[in-house]
Amino acid sequence: MTTPLLEIEDLYAGVDGKDIIKGFNLTINAGEIHAIMGPNGAGKSTLSNVLCGKPGYYVTSGKVRFKGKDLLALSPEERACDGLFLSMQYPVEIPGVPVTSFLKHAVNAIRSYKGESELDTMEFIKMVKSEGKKLGLDSEMIKRAVNVGFSGGEKKRLETLQMSVLKPVLAILDEADSGLDIDALRVVAEGVNALHNEENALLVITHYQRLLNYIVPDFVHVYADGKIVKTGDKTLALELEEKGYAGFVKEKE
Amino acid sequence: MNNLLQDIKLIGDEIPWLKDLRAKGRDAFISQGVPTAKTEAWKYTKPNRFLANSFSYTPSNLIGISPNKTLPFDCYQINFTNGVFNPFKSNLPQGIEVTPIIEAIMFKPKVREKISLIADINNNPFVALNTSYLNEGVYIHISSNVDIKKPLAIVYDTICTDRNDLFNLRNLIELEKNSSLKIIETFGYEGKVKSTYFMNVVNEIYVDENASLKHYKLQDEAFKAGHIAYNAVKVSGGGSYKSFCLQKGADMARNETCVLLSEEGASACVDAAYIMNGWATIDTTTDIKHLKPHTTSSQLVKGVVGGQAKGVFQGKIHIAPNAIKTEGYQLHKAMLLTDEAEIDVKPELEIFADDVKCSHGSACGELDKEQLFYMQSRGISEDKAKQLLIEAYLNDVIAKVDDEKIIEWIKLSLDSTKSE
Repeated sequence: MTTPLLEIEDLYAGVDGKDIIKGFNLTINAGEIHAIMGPNGAGKSTLSNVLCGKPGYYVTSGKVRFKGKDLLALSPEERACDGLFLSMQYPVEIPGVPVTSFLKHAVNAIRSYKGESELDTMEFIKMVKSEGKKLGLDSEMIKRAVNVGFSGGEKKRLETLQMSVLKPVLAILDEADSGLDIDALRVVAEGVNALHNEENALLVITHYQRLLNYIVPDFVHVYADGKIVKTGDKTLALELEEKGYAGFVKEKE
Repeated sequence: MNNLLQDIKLIGDEIPWLKDLRAKGRDAFISQGVPTAKTEAWKYTKPNRFLANSFSYTPSNLIGISPNKTLPFDCYQINFTNGVFNPFKSNLPQGIEVTPIIEAIMFKPKVREKISLIADINNNPFVALNTSYLNEGVYIHISSNVDIKKPLAIVYDTICTDRNDLFNLRNLIELEKNSSLKIIETFGYEGKVKSTYFMNVVNEIYVDENASLKHYKLQDEAFKAGHIAYNAVKVSGGGSYKSFCLQKGADMARNETCVLLSEEGASACVDAAYIMNGWATIDTTTDIKHLKPHTTSSQLVKGVVGGQAKGVFQGKIHIAPNAIKTEGYQLHKAMLLTDEAEIDVKPELEIFADDVKCSHGSACGELDKEQLFYMQSRGISEDKAKQLLIEAYLNDVIAKVDDEKIIEWIKLSLDSTKSE
């Protein structure tokens, strides 16, 4: 049997002194698409931030292995270089840093981590432009500062562009559909689908079923009160859409 | 203080007026003394600890000929090695004259009248000290209606040794009516990185009617060195002086610019940036005097301070009585990288006229952790991410230099600065 891409075992974690993830288990293999659905405040974003090593988030117990390695021992940049990618719910604006220069540093950091030679500027620009075109990002936009003055839809397209350029083995999409109209949603989803293959995996975090019409999951997990309370196939998402989360979430005392 | 004043036989000591001028500088230095913590103008940048080192002044201590540094852009180049002017080789176009300062003041009565005129020995001990050793430096003259397209670069190179050298350089730059020039000063070093030398520079700059001078400077001295520069600038009617100074080297440094907007329509733009770490103190001091109506000035100064270093900005805008319809703007922004880093800011506005537009502001922040994480989550190392964010932070002030090649060169020098 091949090593799973991601194995999370009995994870307890939190932020700001507040325990949020309580006994979380999940295994993702190459080629799979997983969706995690849960109500607001369930700790979905905490999970993605813990996995990516965001400062401030702590792990009290449990294990996370990425391609068999202890993920929690790695710095955020090492996790990225190893093939983990987080498409953020709220992409950060970086005034003064153009998209092209940002992406070039990222691509070359990852290439040099893997022992590959750095791309020259011409090759790189050509690649970014062609990938950007597929996502409906015009070449003027990639000259602008990262996310500065971008609309919600443009920000999500830029996240997808980064994903297509950085080619991660595991991409986590955190609320990739928030702030998107139907057309933009389709473009982003098509972009994501085009990147998916037998070698990589997707973890889609969302609280609407809508996105899953476009990115069809192999597994759907219901996440509530810090852990997965139910796992099913794509029909579970439809069931959730119909009945809501109420049936899965413990009554608050 | 005594070790700064040494009996050195200088060229022209037999000429009474020159001997007298040097003596006046010496006396003015003695009466002012090395500034202490009680000296208002130097209360943040305390040079006395640095100046407690002993220094030796040897005017012709050229140690071999330095490999002339070439700058990565097309320019005319003047070199100083260990404070000594290297014989000039570049072919200069018509209308520009570069002469050793001592020759110019000894043989040109008109130049003599302008030396030690706007740089006041009684108002700054280091100007006084510099004047007491008046000997090395250049006189640069641009004839009227001459537009010098290529920049003129002055490269100051120090070959560091175990000896603590004291360098006093004095330049006089004169732009006649309707002329224009771009000057670049770059201070650097080779050899022993821990050398404690002291570079004391005074520039007296005259920008005549409708002339335009752009003055860019990079201060990258050895990290235990001291650097004090005083730029006195007089701008006549319709003339413009635009400067940008990036300071990143030395243990104790000040770049001070005093601009006299002496006639209507004169303008000045005095921008600066500093980036530092370790235990350094880097000071940017300005004093813009609006002496006549319809004069304008603006200042943008941005700094990044790491380690236990200290950044100082003292900015003064003075508007004389009757200098109506003037505009003076000043903005200082700094980023602190560590908890031990320090910024001291002293903005001063002295307004004696009505109907003027003036503003000043100062802000201080730190690296944005969200931006840092965003970059790291894309594989960029923490150090590289910090460097990119720092460059982005300084980008707008560097962009005010209106020459792409020079901007590139300045940015390149930022790359070699470590952020912690």
